Amino acid sequence: MRFWALFKRDVLVSWRKKSNIYQPLVFQLLIVTMFPLGLGAGAQTLAKVAPAVVWILALLSTLITLENIFKDDYEDGSLDLYVLSGMNLYLATLSKASAHWVTTGIPVILFAPVIAVLMHLPEHTYGVLLLSLLLATPIFSLLGTVGSALIMNIRNGGMLLSVLVMPLLAPVLIFGAGAVLETSLGNSARGHLMLLLGCTVLSLTLAPLAAAAAIKINLE
Amino acid sequence: MTTALLQINDAQCQRAGDLLFAPVNLAIDKSELAVIAGPNGSGKTTLLEAVAGLSTLSSGQRLYQQSADINLWLQHSHYLGHKLGNKGNLSCQENLEFVAHINETTVNQQQIASVLNSAGLAGYQHQYASDLSAGQKKRLALSRLLLLNKTFWLLDEPFVNLDHAGCDWLYQVIAAHITRGGVVILTAHDQKKIHQLAHHHITLVAAIEEHSA
Amino acid sequence: MNRIVKFYHEMGSPPSFYRITRHWLKPMLFLAIVLTLYGLIDGLFFAPTDYQQGDSYRIIFVHVPAAWMSMFIYAIIGIAGIITFVWRMKVAEAVMMACVPIGALFTVITLLTGMLWGKPMWGTYWDWDARMTSELILLFLYIGVMGIYSAYEEDPRKAARLAALVAIIGLVNLPIIRYSVVWWTSIHQGSSISLMGGSNGIKDWDMLRPLLVMALATKFYFIYSMLSRAQSYLLKTESKKQWVKQVIKKELSGDQS
Repeated sequence: MRFWALFKRDVLVSWRKKSNIYQPLVFQLLIVTMFPLGLGAGAQTLAKVAPAVVWILALLSTLITLENIFKDDYEDGSLDLYVLSGMNLYLATLSKASAHWVTTGIPVILFAPVIAVLMHLPEHTYGVLLLSLLLATPIFSLLGTVGSALIMNIRNGGMLLSVLVMPLLAPVLIFGAGAVLETSLGNSARGHLMLLLGCTVLSLTLAPLAAAAAIKINLE
Repeated sequence: MTTALLQINDAQCQRAGDLLFAPVNLAIDKSELAVIAGPNGSGKTTLLEAVAGLSTLSSGQRLYQQSADINLWLQHSHYLGHKLGNKGNLSCQENLEFVAHINETTVNQQQIASVLNSAGLAGYQHQYASDLSAGQKKRLALSRLLLLNKTFWLLDEPFVNLDHAGCDWLYQVIAAHITRGGVVILTAHDQKKIHQLAHHHITLVAAIEEHSA
Repeated sequence: MNRIVKFYHEMGSPPSFYRITRHWLKPMLFLAIVLTLYGLIDGLFFAPTDYQQGDSYRIIFVHVPAAWMSMFIYAIIGIAGIITFVWRMKVAEAVMMACVPIGALFTVITLLTGMLWGKPMWGTYWDWDARMTSELILLFLYIGVMGIYSAYEEDPRKAARLAALVAIIGLVNLPIIRYSVVWWTSIHQGSSISLMGGSNGIKDWDMLRPLLVMALATKFYFIYSMLSRAQSYLLKTESKKQWVKQVIKKELSGDQS
């Protein structure tokens, strides 16, 4: 019940503050336009880098939304409300991550084909692209709760959050973008996707622990 | 050995590694009010946060019903700090509903309406919290206390931002809570009236520097 | 056995830690300098020329010990981080924070010497091979620990606890990062020649000797630098405690006599 109360509230808050949802998508559109401008508009040139570009854009556009996961709640005091409700912090973190995934991860997944079309990503890779993002976007949200909990009472913590989260995201990028790349080269992406799934499971179990610990230390 | 409902023994807090105040003791029972006083920066908020369970006491302990169990304590206490905890883009009703649900309390629309009504926010049920004035935001936060049915209220400067009518209202609310057997611990620096009502006065004094190795 | 237990307990308390390790600094520094001089002279002038890589391989006498240290120190940071996090031991906190800049320094040295070696060997300063890439990511981990600490610097206790948490998260992820990067390079390129790698590994004692000496020298330098940093960290964060005042008093009177 508490899990859903927090989840429902977060989704509602994000839904009302529409910018939370469309900001990453606008960001992706802006940046993807730069690639043909800088790289040359040849379909072949773009297709070659497309797996990486689509993937990195999904990652970066999510990264800019992570800072506020806990920061907003810390600043307006509503963090105190759920910490002091006696709610398990592991569960609270999981709830925050789920709400973030629903309001950011899902739009990013749904938007990926648009970016893929613009980058001339080969059509037969779309399935793997969506599947890889489906596995990876929860990791973004989960690691985001960790990063956000670590920096919640720092001003301008966004840069620090990127530094903290980037090394953790490197394997995710390798497996995720790699899966799309292998598919575009006509190889099987099974291995990549399995490893990515492993990362999803691992962050699902460990990230809320780390985020809960960070919140506790930060409130001390 | 006292058997007070809540005992705070030799409590001390730190800020950036420095002890803020000399050890504080309090044994408070049902139907009592404690006021924590002290100059700015003496650690009133820090102490209240630690007692509430938001942070931890750097030394000393809090015993509720003779037990240090934090979850038991959290079930029966509600803390309201400087940061009110209202979400700006949720309506008053949604804010209160969230608070109720997160505390595993079920509420219906009527309860919320009557609570808002008594807090002087009648008709604001569907207004966004960000549209309220500073005083009204405070009233919204305080109205949580009426909704949640907790024994212990820990209030940090509850009279700040309230107008005369608001102060009178809060005063009545606190008095009524105490009459019903509730306990209130609050910080205030400038409220003579509340000091008169208080059963316990805690004045924070600066900690003496440690001299042992 | 009892003496070991006693020693362990003493090292856990800041004043005894300071009192005991204060005398270790000079010998450690001395050993580090002597061994570095010996290792460098031996490595640069007396070790035989490599039949494949010519003289440019000699950079391994700096590169490889630095690379070892960069990973070794992160492991220490992780362990000290766990102790800081779980038992809130002040000395572990000091050791952890003392290690961070040293580890970052060794990581930078590893990267720079790797690049210098890469130019003659690969024809380019940078190659995204598994070692260089994971070393670079290791540098990010170091920067993260330093970053979180300096962001909370006004509250050293909290800063250290958060830095410890970041270090532990990094320690858990390090094997995953390492595995993923190795896996990634194995897919995209054949294994490139690398220092110490494969068939052209070092077998000759004349080559191995300066390498081991340099490895020892970096260890002693690390101990020296870590202890002196940890000591000043303790003096700084405990500056209001009596033992620090006594230390200062003693130092001052010692100077006059």
